Amino acid sequence: MSTVRATVTVDSTPDELYHDAVRVYGDALGRLARAYEADTDLRRDLLQEIHIALWRSFSTFDGRCSLRTWIYRVAHNVAASHVLRQRRSRSQAMVGLEELENLPDGNNSQQTADRSHALDRLVSMIQRLKPLDRHVILSYLEGHEAAAISEITGLSPGYVAVKIHRIKSLLACQFQQGEIR
Amino acid sequence: MTNELRNPAQKLWQDQPVEGITMSAEVIRKRAAKFERKIRWRNVREYVAALVAAVPLGYFLVTARDVFARVTFGLLIAGLAWMVVQLHRKGSVRSMPAGVSTLTGLQFYRTELERQREAVNTVWSWYLAPLIPGLLVYTVWSAIRSPRPAAWLGLALLDAVIVGMFYVVWKMNLRAARCLERMIDELRAAENPR
Repeated sequence: MSTVRATVTVDSTPDELYHDAVRVYGDALGRLARAYEADTDLRRDLLQEIHIALWRSFSTFDGRCSLRTWIYRVAHNVAASHVLRQRRSRSQAMVGLEELENLPDGNNSQQTADRSHALDRLVSMIQRLKPLDRHVILSYLEGHEAAAISEITGLSPGYVAVKIHRIKSLLACQFQQGEIR
Repeated sequence: MTNELRNPAQKLWQDQPVEGITMSAEVIRKRAAKFERKIRWRNVREYVAALVAAVPLGYFLVTARDVFARVTFGLLIAGLAWMVVQLHRKGSVRSMPAGVSTLTGLQFYRTELERQREAVNTVWSWYLAPLIPGLLVYTVWSAIRSPRPAAWLGLALLDAVIVGMFYVVWKMNLRAARCLERMIDELRAAENPR
């Protein structure tokens, strides 16, 4: 998670809000786009769509939720919309976290030791998930605490806790300690 | 979160090289306008494609000699036009849907799925029914024009094929609606856990 802090207030202009959002969360938005779209060109389009949606949305930002919550809501919602739009042209079905746990992982310790391969595997695992589960796992990977995930997703705190538990065991199983350096 | 507290997967995720984009206010305004134009052109292309499909029917409408034929082709064109407009309004996923900033992820996803479910659930009223008046008039007109058993049999077979196709489309949409309903139920359960 980024350690850079947002400096804007509710009174900031949409342009100021947008620039601060990109400064603080730009990298996270890039990672988010990667998790939602495997194709490089489509990913670039998606990221641009997220930026445009964010910039537009700031004209109605009223500070009732934090800037971070607002940004992630917009970004995930645009990305979920993108996934639904692309769903009909994709052959691979989306699965939930529970189903993913039961799928063969094709784990190869020697290969997994390679950091880039491990990242590719993590990304491909995330890209198979249904949008809401993808939302939760991404928030977890970005280091958000359960309360923040609950606020952004609208899932109950208890439900988020269960999901995080599943995510942790799934990641522990797929990416054992020492395999990722 | 400090580096020490991050688990290996979080570290791997957060430390990956990122292809980000930075746009000035001026650039993003231009991109937003370009994006709007892209969506508008996509809509125009869809309507033009529908118009091209309606051209043969339009030709028959103009060149038809009797009233029955004109009514038939007129109704079919009107049915197609209605179908295309509804397909555009209900069927496609919106490019920049409303609520993108005000709804939580759960509400947003559920709303989009509910909209799609509504479209497939009511497929009879907006996709199939608009074509029925034109097809009915065509059947009656053809039966009157050729009052021979062989012609009626051919007509009956044609109608049976059309009814069969309608049935398949309806059943496929019902199945899709059930699948969407299950997904929506899962989301509702996540929203209000018992």
